[in-house]
Amino acid sequence: MLIDLSESDGRPIYGRIADRIKFAIAGEVLRPGELAPSVRELSKQLVVNPNTVARAYRDLQAEGLLEPVRGTGLQVASGATERCRSARVEFVRGRLRSAIEEARETGLPGAEIEAILHEEWGRGGGDRANGKGA
Amino acid sequence: MGDQAAISIENVSKYYRDQVALDGLSLDVPEGSVFGLLGENGAGKTTTIQVLLGMIRPDAGRAKVLGLDPAREGLDVRRRVGYVPEIPALYDWMTVAEIGWFAAGFHPEAVVGTAGFLSRYGESIRGFGLPADRKIKALSKGMRAKVSLALAMASDPSLLILDEPTSGLDAMVRREFMESMVDLAASGRTVFLSSHQLGEVERVASHVALLHKGKLILAEPLDELRARTFLLAVNFQSRDHDQAPPASLPIELIDAADAPRQAHWLVRARDRAACEAVRNLPGVESVRIETPSLEDVYVGHMRARRPAPAPTPGAAHVA
Repeated sequence: MLIDLSESDGRPIYGRIADRIKFAIAGEVLRPGELAPSVRELSKQLVVNPNTVARAYRDLQAEGLLEPVRGTGLQVASGATERCRSARVEFVRGRLRSAIEEARETGLPGAEIEAILHEEWGRGGGDRANGKGA
Repeated sequence: MGDQAAISIENVSKYYRDQVALDGLSLDVPEGSVFGLLGENGAGKTTTIQVLLGMIRPDAGRAKVLGLDPAREGLDVRRRVGYVPEIPALYDWMTVAEIGWFAAGFHPEAVVGTAGFLSRYGESIRGFGLPADRKIKALSKGMRAKVSLALAMASDPSLLILDEPTSGLDAMVRREFMESMVDLAASGRTVFLSSHQLGEVERVASHVALLHKGKLILAEPLDELRARTFLLAVNFQSRDHDQAPPASLPIELIDAADAPRQAHWLVRARDRAACEAVRNLPGVESVRIETPSLEDVYVGHMRARRPAPAPTPGAAHVA
């Protein structure tokens, strides 16, 4: 599994890693029963401190999305796909809400903000997301 | 990460005729950490490393490296620690392979065999794509740095000390170094590096320390530093505004930048909620609370513009 951390929004790295794994699960790049990459592999791939990956994995375990497999590592828990899909919805809602709030704070009139929103949505090719989240 | 300190520095000072290189430095490097030592040129980073390796003796205080005293057992320390100096000290006329053989002579305990110095060196050289039969003098700067790193890792040390390992190297080589450091950390080894590459340190380090003119400004786990340092972008209603957060708030000012109706305050606080109180200060129109990058934190501590706060909240305001 390859994930991409390129965009920084000031949030801690471990949170962004956890989100990306949730999206990968939501998009079925990682399926229930499949093993998540080891802390060592993923930290090397992302070039971040292993503790950061370990923390993301701990959080995902606490949320019941990953579960330990004796002697092997962590695997995606059953039912994780649906739960990650709602997490994905929440993530998008949160990001859009922040973006809209930020836009409002500039003082630009609401109608203009909405127009820009539609323009940008159209420019991105509308419904081009592949649903995979990878 | 263990509770043990791989490195422990206690009140170390070092003076040269016309300057203070280190001034009462104390810090601990936990086992298994990736510890980034930051600071301007001349801040004392290399001096610190020289003390740790027993290459120079402190004028006060002492250090412990892997349980040994470098001032008395320097040779043992240098044998057990993998060291990558800022400028690799390699014999130009040797080939990549020959320098491995040469260095192996200093580690007689495990020279040959699958777990030996030479076999690990060979693996690193292959992994880095370095031609074994090329002379050092024909290698680029980046390749030389990789040879230096391969030599340091070949003895399988539990502690690596790197002095500005990627300075002057291109992004690809820097990335390979970072991957190696992450890999070392993932296998439980301790990495201590001094660096100017704050973006890199921000990713791979678990702890950072900031040195300035020989003095320690801060030393803590990186995630704690990030969780407690904030950039407050404050918009004020009038040009006559507070220069610093009031002393009554649980906020410590690190650096303040001022403009007619604005201020940027780099602060330390227990959490984001503690910063929210700034919104309610008289004269404040809006506040944006952001997480600064390590570079912002570093620059803020270096600039350290700290005007005195208003004596009593609200008292100094002209409506």
